[in-house]
Amino acid sequence: MITPPVPLNEDDRVRAARRAGIRAAGVIIVSYIPFGIAAGAAMGATSVDPLISILTSPTIFAGAAQIAAVQLLHVGAALGIVVLTVAVINSRHLLYSAALAPHLADWSTPQRLGAAYLLADPVYALAVARFDTPDGGGSTREKRTFYFAAGLTCWVGWAALLAIGIVAGGFIPEWVPFELAIPLTFLLLTLPLIKNSAGLVAFAVAGIVALVADPLPLGVGLMVGAVAGVVAGAVVLNVTDRNRAETVDA
Amino acid sequence: MLELLAIVLGGIVTFVTRAIFLVSKKLRPPKRVERYLPLVGPAVLGAIAIPGILAPRGEISLVDTVPAVIAAVATWLGWKFTKQIAVGLIVGLGLWWAILAVMVAMGVER
Repeated sequence: MITPPVPLNEDDRVRAARRAGIRAAGVIIVSYIPFGIAAGAAMGATSVDPLISILTSPTIFAGAAQIAAVQLLHVGAALGIVVLTVAVINSRHLLYSAALAPHLADWSTPQRLGAAYLLADPVYALAVARFDTPDGGGSTREKRTFYFAAGLTCWVGWAALLAIGIVAGGFIPEWVPFELAIPLTFLLLTLPLIKNSAGLVAFAVAGIVALVADPLPLGVGLMVGAVAGVVAGAVVLNVTDRNRAETVDA
Repeated sequence: MLELLAIVLGGIVTFVTRAIFLVSKKLRPPKRVERYLPLVGPAVLGAIAIPGILAPRGEISLVDTVPAVIAAVATWLGWKFTKQIAVGLIVGLGLWWAILAVMVAMGVER
């Protein structure tokens, strides 16, 4: 006789959410190894104190902005320019904040502040992919546990990779090509988020516009591409919704 | 000291961009905008991924772009059939390295 499976209780589901968060973020960190160490090596080769470069991880925790900040400090840029550059590069996080807000509505203020601190690109992608499922990612406790497990794993992993690169940089042989690892990782983070034609159009238009706008200073091209993508996706969403409504009316 | 101040201020502005809609339960994106928020992820991440795939070393070129696009398609297929990020990455990177090795063997320089 086959015994039916015992339903998991809340504590078991929370433990499973923690494992899932660590596992998902762990895969991301592995894919970040070449980029993280190479970025650290580049930062370590500047005139900026290695300790300052290492401290960009707990303060800024956003790869591209960290590299840009250290490079600007290296060339003697003014404090205001460094801060403005970081702000512009990370302005996309405004969109993440707005998109994640409904999912975190029932979290306490300290929990939402903690979540904001960890809201880097991969953390957002992992969280939204889980929260946008039919069950909403489970109970509030499960969602919170998944988010912080994934976020802290990314935080620790990224800080460690960068520190290794800064301190011991340059030991990846130049002939080993790794430049595609990060774009492919971001492609994989995006795929679960594309749920309809509007999402696909947003993805494609954002990418192409960002590529065309790449020569713009301060990495503004990324934000230009992202906004163009959202607008294009919104147009498609409106058209498909209108067509659907007309079909129902007919 | 100035360097430390610069990165601390950089961290503060980064935190503000991330926290602005999360910090208060009353502060919310406008209702009209909310239905478009699921487009944010594909758009922002696409703006990072696609330029890196079409121009892995900063410029579009036959020898860089074609292998990278093939690897991206393989990555998508690897994910589509397994739903595992690790599998997609291994398939994509593995195929890309294989293509680059064949190009080297054929004397094609990147």
